[in-house]
Amino acid sequence: MLPEQSIQKIINTALRNGGDLAEVYLEDTDRLTLVLDDQKLETATRGSDIGGGVRVFYGQTAAYAYTDDLSEEALLAAAEAAAAAARSTNQARVAVDLTRRIPSVTHPIKRPFDQMSIAEKAALLRQIDQTGRATSSLISQLMTSYTQTSRRVWIYNSDGVWAEDERFMLELRASLVAKRGDALQTITTGLGGQTGLEMLDERDPLTAVKEAAETAVHMLDAKPAPAGEMTVVINNGWGGVLFHEACGHCMEADFITSGASAYAGMVGERVGPDFLTAIDDGTIPNRRGSLRFDDEGTPAQKVTLIENGILKEYMWDLTEARRLGRESTGNGRRQSFRHMPMPRMTNTYIDAGPHDPEEIIRSTKKGLFAKRLGGGQVEIGRGDYVFAVTEGYLIEDGRLTTPVRGATLVGNGPETLRQIDMIGSDLALDPGIGMCGKGQSARVSVGQPTVRVPKLTVGGTDQPISGLMGG
Amino acid sequence: MNHIEVAKSVVKKAAIDGVEAEAYVVSGTQTSVQIRQGEVEKLSYAGSKGLGVRVLIDGKMGYAYTSDFSHDSLDQAVHSALELAEISDADPNRVLPEPKPIVDEDLAIYDSSMDGVSTEEKVVFQKAVEAAALGADERVKVAAMNMYMDSVTEVSLVNSKGFSGAYQSTFSGAYIMVMAIDGDERATGFGYGFGRSLKALDPQKIGRDAGEQAVKLLGGSPVPTQVATVVYTPFAASSLLGALSQALTAKAMQRQRTFLHDKFGEAVASDMVTLLDNGRLPGGFATRPFDDEGNPTGATRLIDEGVFQAVLYDEYSARKDGQVSTGNASRRSHTGPPGLSASNFYIQPGPDSAESLIADVEKGLYVVNVMNTHSINPVNGDYSVSAQGFWIENGKMTHPVNGVTIALPLDQLLYNVSQVANDLTFIPMMGAIGSPTIRVDGVTIGGM
Repeated sequence: MLPEQSIQKIINTALRNGGDLAEVYLEDTDRLTLVLDDQKLETATRGSDIGGGVRVFYGQTAAYAYTDDLSEEALLAAAEAAAAAARSTNQARVAVDLTRRIPSVTHPIKRPFDQMSIAEKAALLRQIDQTGRATSSLISQLMTSYTQTSRRVWIYNSDGVWAEDERFMLELRASLVAKRGDALQTITTGLGGQTGLEMLDERDPLTAVKEAAETAVHMLDAKPAPAGEMTVVINNGWGGVLFHEACGHCMEADFITSGASAYAGMVGERVGPDFLTAIDDGTIPNRRGSLRFDDEGTPAQKVTLIENGILKEYMWDLTEARRLGRESTGNGRRQSFRHMPMPRMTNTYIDAGPHDPEEIIRSTKKGLFAKRLGGGQVEIGRGDYVFAVTEGYLIEDGRLTTPVRGATLVGNGPETLRQIDMIGSDLALDPGIGMCGKGQSARVSVGQPTVRVPKLTVGGTDQPISGLMGG
Repeated sequence: MNHIEVAKSVVKKAAIDGVEAEAYVVSGTQTSVQIRQGEVEKLSYAGSKGLGVRVLIDGKMGYAYTSDFSHDSLDQAVHSALELAEISDADPNRVLPEPKPIVDEDLAIYDSSMDGVSTEEKVVFQKAVEAAALGADERVKVAAMNMYMDSVTEVSLVNSKGFSGAYQSTFSGAYIMVMAIDGDERATGFGYGFGRSLKALDPQKIGRDAGEQAVKLLGGSPVPTQVATVVYTPFAASSLLGALSQALTAKAMQRQRTFLHDKFGEAVASDMVTLLDNGRLPGGFATRPFDDEGNPTGATRLIDEGVFQAVLYDEYSARKDGQVSTGNASRRSHTGPPGLSASNFYIQPGPDSAESLIADVEKGLYVVNVMNTHSINPVNGDYSVSAQGFWIENGKMTHPVNGVTIALPLDQLLYNVSQVANDLTFIPMMGAIGSPTIRVDGVTIGGM
């Protein structure tokens, strides 16, 4: 990247009109995407996204200017633009010496992306496609994709921070349609993480697509989901997306300091049962949401959000931490150099609980088992959330029975969390293809054990079934 | 070198030995301003550019992109695209369009007055939005997201068949989300405004809309689970139209990824429903003179009084069906080849006012906001979202409703549209989707 003297020069320019802190963020991202659809390798795309931005903090204001040209001249011009906004009455200040931070966690990869040719990667997609189609003649469409991303970032600031991170992301996706007569079912599956090609040796994409194909076919027999309130058991792994959406977002510091979140001012208070602990951990080796440093140069951390039911901490970036004169928790992330950082989750999960997962189902007389959740959304102010259940089953007398389609879960995050009456011992993280949107997109991971909520509203099209409520 | 010249030089480099090549350059400036409690919280300025090159070698496609316009980088992009084409599968329908005449008319997508707007004016504007929201009612306490953004964008497109074109557009938008708090009750409201210039936006209205909506929604509660009429505001309706727009593309039809795939020529909706796509709608947010592979944009009547009579085409899907492109090739940025999607997509307004629609409802839900609309499934038509709004009893709104779901498969939903109002409104947040207030009967409401 640029020599240290150039960075110093850019930071000094940024602080020309005063300001409390100046930061330089540089990025070089290379991406390869292959898409196989309708049994043809249709789209093969490769490209690079290179650029940088200069941010100046003055009081509670941050001015940012970015450019897709990484020359010293272009970055100096960005620094000038950011400094122009500062117009602070402070004296111009000079940056301290930059000290390169050594990461305390690493996410090493074993097989770099170039150890397979593009043609071999295309052949892998063909193999996945054929395996999915061979699973059942009812699989009418299959689209698979391979994406590798190498993202290098450099972060410097006037407090002397110099941090570098290198993030290798691998992602395989398959989206299937099963068709019988007029009935259509879709399933999306995938594998991913902060990993090199070793993921292909360690986790079998063919098994994953076969399972997805079987599920899609199985779901053709699904009946419309019932509507109304009932007990809901949420599967482990990706089921953690419910906590991510319904509670995690409400613990992001920007919604806390503005007072918008239902969890504002709740540190130290009980927000769930005493067997509930929830964590955001950016340090888990090689997970999709893992980092060495966040996009502001703060080391990745393990943050305990809720411990034994008590709210402990929120997720902070620099902007929000500066407001309160505290430290960032390493949750300052940005989609690219075109975006300013904001508090974001990394790998967020509900920790293992005391209950036997099988017993959770067995002890449920009537309800819904949400095996596979689709996407969800939260309204921050109240914490109201909604989720699609893409694979669901009725629970009758402690057993899974009829598959149901078109179910939606709605509820209030803080309320649902308080209501949880069972948490399994079977903590699992998701397969690693999660993408979180908050104006900017971020790669994240979620997880949880099997979790039971005694009363949730389920939206379906079938008539309500009387007496479906209850444990 | 201007961008059309850059695009030409890239096409020239790539288009040798019978290779078809196309270069797409998008460039421009962006500004955003975030205000919090009367102070500037975040300010962002940028100039950016990007180039994408698409090559076709005997129907095999390769694509590469870069934001660095140095000779080396452009050469590298051309080299990558050619390399990727080699491993792709051939498809005889994959060819670049022949140049066609583009009608020279003012599409009202560029407002030169944007040039003269200072950052200070944008800051003042957005502060006024916040003040109007907080001033709407004393219970409006927090502005959680309060942002202004604008851009000036230039698109240049060149292909080896002889097409060469460029256009400029401007965009200006403001958004605010506020919370009303009254004791233990909390409710969110939002307001927005979009146009081709700051002058087209009214800060008072944007702020007031947000504040008033939040206060009105205070104290919302679920209603019992039942089947009832739902009246959708344009904002609420636009999300289901978004899913429908995906179901109405030729690609979805050809690959049977739509619940409408074998219904062409048939009645698929109530006769109140006429659905249009128009890439040349003056001032429309998806309006442009040619699409992202150089075909002229135009108007397509997809559903005419309930009858499914046309789909959206790009060059590839049109050739596959022996048809002509409807000018719906589009890309989100230079980082990918054009896909196929709707432009300005909307339900044709009807004769009645929105008020009269509500007045006719005996019992039902007036929906102002829906959540989780990305889970609407355009393939099988599954539709179940959460909703917020007001309960209607004998034509009058009685109380706010929250925490309910509304569900009905899209194919039935289209049939159950029983009234369409005259208040067509476009919602750029969802693409460029427009809808009037619509009434749908027989929707399952999931609540208590």
